[in-house]
Amino acid sequence: MDFHQLWTILSTADNVPIVILLLVVPFYTWYGLRQSFANDRLIAQLEANPEMAKTHHRKTQPWRPEWAREVHVWPYLLRIEFLAAIILTIILMVWSITLNAPLEEPANPTLTMNPSKAPWYFLGLQEMLVYFDPWMSGVVMPSLIIIGLMVIPYIDTNPLGNGYYTFKQRKFSILTFIFGFIVLWVAMIVIGTLIRGPGWMWFWPGTTWDHNRLIFEVNRDLPDIFGIHTQVPKIIFGAIVVGAYCVVAGLGMHKLITLTPFNRKIYARMSVLQYAVMQVFLVVMLSLPVKILIRLLFRIKYVWVTPWFNI
Amino acid sequence: MSDQEKDPVVYSSLSKPLFISSVLLVLSMAWGLYDEMYATRPWKGYQARFEKFYSRYLKTAAGGEADVEKQIKAAPDYQRLNAAMMDAEKAAMPGATAIDKKINGDLVPKILALNDPFQEVRGHVGALTYEIEVTHSESSKDSLRKQIVELKAEKHDVSLPGEDQKRSMDFKAMGDLLQSMKDEKSKLLQQRVALMKTATELRAKRDQYLSDRIADASTSTIAAVQNSLSKFDIRIRQIHVKDVDLVDRCESCHLGTREPIVLTKAAMGGEAVFASHPNKEMLKIHDPEKFGCTPCHGGNGAALSSVEKSHGYNKFWLWPLHHKENIQAGCQQCHAREVVTEMADTLNQGREIFRLRGCMGCHRYEAFDREADEIANVNQQMRQLEQQKAEWKREIGFSEQKANNPRTSDTDAKVLFAHSNDLKVRSSGLDAKLEQFDMRSHSLVREVKKVGPSLKEARVKLKKEWIPEWLKDPHQWREGTKMPTFRLDPNEIRAISAFLWQAGVKADLPQQKPGDAARGKESFETRGCMACHSMGEGAAKQGGTFSANLSREGEKANYDYIVRWVHNPRQRSAPYCAFEKKDLTAEDYQRKALPYVFDLEHSKCPNDGHELQVQQMTPMPSLRLTEDEARDIASYLMTRKRDNATYANADYMDDPNLKNQGIALVRNYGCAGCHEIAGLEEEQRIGTELTKEGSKPTERLDFALLGHKAEAEDWYTHKGFFEHKLENPAVYDTGKEKAKQDRLKMPNFNLSKPEIDAVTTFLEGSVDAGVPARYFYNPTDQRQDIIDGWWVVRKYNCMGCHKVHVGQMTTFDTMTKYLDPDWKDQRPPTLIGEGARVNPEWLMRFLNNPALSETDTNRDGVRQYLKARMPTFSFSDGEIRKIVRFFEALSSQAQPFIAEKLDPLTDQERTMARQLFTSEGAPCLKCHMTGDVKHDSHATAPNFTVAKDRLKPGWTKRWMLDPALMSPGTAMPSGLFRHEPDRYVFTGPTPPSFNGYTKDHADLLVRYMFQFTPEELARLRSSAGAGN
Repeated sequence: MDFHQLWTILSTADNVPIVILLLVVPFYTWYGLRQSFANDRLIAQLEANPEMAKTHHRKTQPWRPEWAREVHVWPYLLRIEFLAAIILTIILMVWSITLNAPLEEPANPTLTMNPSKAPWYFLGLQEMLVYFDPWMSGVVMPSLIIIGLMVIPYIDTNPLGNGYYTFKQRKFSILTFIFGFIVLWVAMIVIGTLIRGPGWMWFWPGTTWDHNRLIFEVNRDLPDIFGIHTQVPKIIFGAIVVGAYCVVAGLGMHKLITLTPFNRKIYARMSVLQYAVMQVFLVVMLSLPVKILIRLLFRIKYVWVTPWFNI
Repeated sequence: MSDQEKDPVVYSSLSKPLFISSVLLVLSMAWGLYDEMYATRPWKGYQARFEKFYSRYLKTAAGGEADVEKQIKAAPDYQRLNAAMMDAEKAAMPGATAIDKKINGDLVPKILALNDPFQEVRGHVGALTYEIEVTHSESSKDSLRKQIVELKAEKHDVSLPGEDQKRSMDFKAMGDLLQSMKDEKSKLLQQRVALMKTATELRAKRDQYLSDRIADASTSTIAAVQNSLSKFDIRIRQIHVKDVDLVDRCESCHLGTREPIVLTKAAMGGEAVFASHPNKEMLKIHDPEKFGCTPCHGGNGAALSSVEKSHGYNKFWLWPLHHKENIQAGCQQCHAREVVTEMADTLNQGREIFRLRGCMGCHRYEAFDREADEIANVNQQMRQLEQQKAEWKREIGFSEQKANNPRTSDTDAKVLFAHSNDLKVRSSGLDAKLEQFDMRSHSLVREVKKVGPSLKEARVKLKKEWIPEWLKDPHQWREGTKMPTFRLDPNEIRAISAFLWQAGVKADLPQQKPGDAARGKESFETRGCMACHSMGEGAAKQGGTFSANLSREGEKANYDYIVRWVHNPRQRSAPYCAFEKKDLTAEDYQRKALPYVFDLEHSKCPNDGHELQVQQMTPMPSLRLTEDEARDIASYLMTRKRDNATYANADYMDDPNLKNQGIALVRNYGCAGCHEIAGLEEEQRIGTELTKEGSKPTERLDFALLGHKAEAEDWYTHKGFFEHKLENPAVYDTGKEKAKQDRLKMPNFNLSKPEIDAVTTFLEGSVDAGVPARYFYNPTDQRQDIIDGWWVVRKYNCMGCHKVHVGQMTTFDTMTKYLDPDWKDQRPPTLIGEGARVNPEWLMRFLNNPALSETDTNRDGVRQYLKARMPTFSFSDGEIRKIVRFFEALSSQAQPFIAEKLDPLTDQERTMARQLFTSEGAPCLKCHMTGDVKHDSHATAPNFTVAKDRLKPGWTKRWMLDPALMSPGTAMPSGLFRHEPDRYVFTGPTPPSFNGYTKDHADLLVRYMFQFTPEELARLRSSAGAGN
């Protein structure tokens, strides 16, 4: 266990946000979910007791019958936000005093730094480059991420959950978010920061980042494993496999979406276009972890090899 | 309703958290301010402490030095100067005061009063003129012009101080009046300066008198410093060199660097940071205002936020501050083409090791071993030219053949003939070029030297059994040898020995009869061998370190070879033709019916006419010994061995199979970098080039598996890399799985810590300097001759015998024998001021042939009384030129040399001079040689009859007047002449003929010596004989 190395990585000024991210993201996820579950219990109570529902509209916990149904933004919300602003300012002040921007190697076109890493917020994208060809991971996927985020309001047909924390009423959205943001995005940033060492090799935390390390790794394309070596059959084979994945993933998603009666209700509210768009994005999103797994576990580089793009 | 039941959103009080976080916010802001003002600006603290310590030190310093100063001020000379100054000042004072009064009381207030209204109008006029220039319509321009005219004509009432009436003036009148008053003021000021001139000059003289006599700082300096210290303000102090974009703020903390008072660590409260620069002389040559600090020292000149950062010790800073032991690395980057740099001893030592220990055999380094590079270049060009010639010859043949063909038309034939004629002419041009190259290579074969001995001679020189023993560990066998220890396994040693043995030239040396070892010992110790060679082991070691220790020579060498070697070390067993790339044999000469003779006069290849390598590539010179003396010395050397030395049988060395293994190994280990080896004469250097090694990115230095260790132990730097590599060249193989031939090849030189520091300094300074070209030391005057000369002087170890510059030791100064008073005068002459002493043309002749005679070579041309003898180095013409120019430049002699014209002697003067020369009072001939064998046998000073060729008259006179001044401890007596107001007069009794002679006696002697003729020599000898 190389604690010196571990400390070097964790304490690098550039990596401090990631370390904070590691602690803060789980905490706030838990904290938010806790509130959601508390609210869900209240909602269940209200649904069970129509009398109470008539008199009570506040959907957040804690709650007592004699409390006011609504309170004003000023001062009750703003004073809390003001406090938060002060605390954040203190944190930023102390952070900027204690951690200065580090000096890095001078730019040298004949000698690039190793590992050469993007700024931390781009490390997820950089990590994606390992699994797809640059055209996919550098252009197509990021565009899809942005478009996907823009599309959300148009495909969200669930009217519930505005202005209060709830899990039960937005189970599907929340789980998709947790999967897409925490599992995929944050995890990839963390991998890119803390796990990827010299030569973009995988170093488990606590091992030494050795520049001399050599590992034996042969990555193959899926068609090659099946003995397909010429171009056209490769394209056809890849298209079949990717097509099969899309069908299976789409069906699986459909199964998930229509799992509960509540969800089926939401599903019924969606137009064909809304549903199709959602399916496309979900299938693409799911392809990322699938590809990561087959890349890391089976050393498969590409599934679908064409002269124009590789998947 | 209890508190717990109340709605927390409404009823909970946030005042406590708000208060706490507000306090924290204020605190963090205070912290931010403190950080901004002090924590990231540590230099402020340094400056405050500096001021404190400095003023405290000045108080104590002023006290101590005041006494000395008081004494000096009490001295009559000072008093006289002071009084004169006071008088002059007093005399000039009334006039000066009147002028001051006129200026300050009258003119200045008037000028000030008039200036304002005048400036106002001028400003207005200027603004209107601008308006005219930018206005487009002619009519508005005209109206503006009119305005200006009106403005200028307008009258202003000005009241001037000292005048009752107001004056009414227009613009022009004001201007004229102002100008006239200003002129008057400057005239008065000039008058004042003239009036005070004597007083000012006297004051400067008086102050100079004082500052000349106070070692460090006079009270006035201290007062000046104290005064400036009272105005000390805390601010960033930086040197900004604009054209280089250099900003060095080092002096923001190192405040004492350039203080006029020398500050030591102790004086400044134990803080070394405030000490003055230890070498003020250096700062005079490299003015910090022009050079800054970091170009020499390294570090990050702009950084001020922490000691670590400004010294550049933070990660990724490419030019960290040089450590103390490597401080001279900074010199190397601009003084890159020198082998000796004044005031940089460590660096010089590093270069010397790099050169002498053979580093340059494997590692190319610009300027080092350039002869080898040049010879390769010349050979290659010659080959190309020969090829070209052959091609053209062929083409000429073809053209002529085609032209002569009857089917070729006349016009075509003409063109073809013309073409072939052209080619003939051009090919004769090639011949001229080739001849030039041949001449150059004739010089070059003499200039090129190898670090180690030629292994072509292994068979004739060495004892067979000794070779494997030596290869095992040369340092074990001969401590401190140049040959490094290679990491060879027994099989490799066998193969290499076998190859070397079988690759050796097979030659039969003449059988030598034995010599007298006792006489040989005497010769060895006195002839000068020990200026380079040492003898004795451990504490008993005596002699120079330039060449091998010969204490065990008898164990390794053959007697016959050593005789030849001692007699003439440059003699080879066979000449080598670089053009054909082979050693020539007697058959090659026989085929052309030539005698098998090869030396500097017979240096052309019988096969192709190119220059041969006819000398061994050793710097060892010939001492012009007789064969008998050579045999004596060789016999002595053969007695030098350990009694119990035994060597294992090595018959395997004749196994031809081993030879092939051996050549691969010899090639692999780069042996040919230092040794001449048959078949490997043209081998390239196997190591990496080191000219810019210091600026290689650290990542490119192969720390191998030690990278993490180095980082943890804080030596992941160039310095750390070099030091560890030099200490143990195999260190970066640690833990590596490598085949034997892939391992690091660099052998172990067994360097001591100071030697490692020196080489590290040299390498650390070997950088691609970021400074602009004008910083580089590339003088175009005589200083370039000094740079060039040092290379030759070092190459042949002139400093083993001669003192070349002040403060240097020769080997003779270290040998016990020569510390004895009887032997003191047997040391070779010092060469300080040699350029001023001797005639450069004579020096050239002497260097070419130190015997100064073609026939009688068993002698020294100048000092035959010396047992040690100036050897014959067979310098090339270029080298001789460099040495001569070197000495001339060291003494700042004008180039080229033009002999001084002396007044001719009258017959009477010649007689007088001869009488003085032989008189009792001036026993010149008692010590000085005259060329008479009988007389010279007990002479102890140079032959003065050659003085006229050898010396320069000016120097000779200075020498006679006071020899001890030029060469402390010389046997030549001082005080031979005494100074009379306008001439020098001989101190001792003069012959009667001198009565009434009014000219300078020393001059007379010089003129006599420089107009010496053989007839005069005969007369002198006869009269000296009569006198004695």
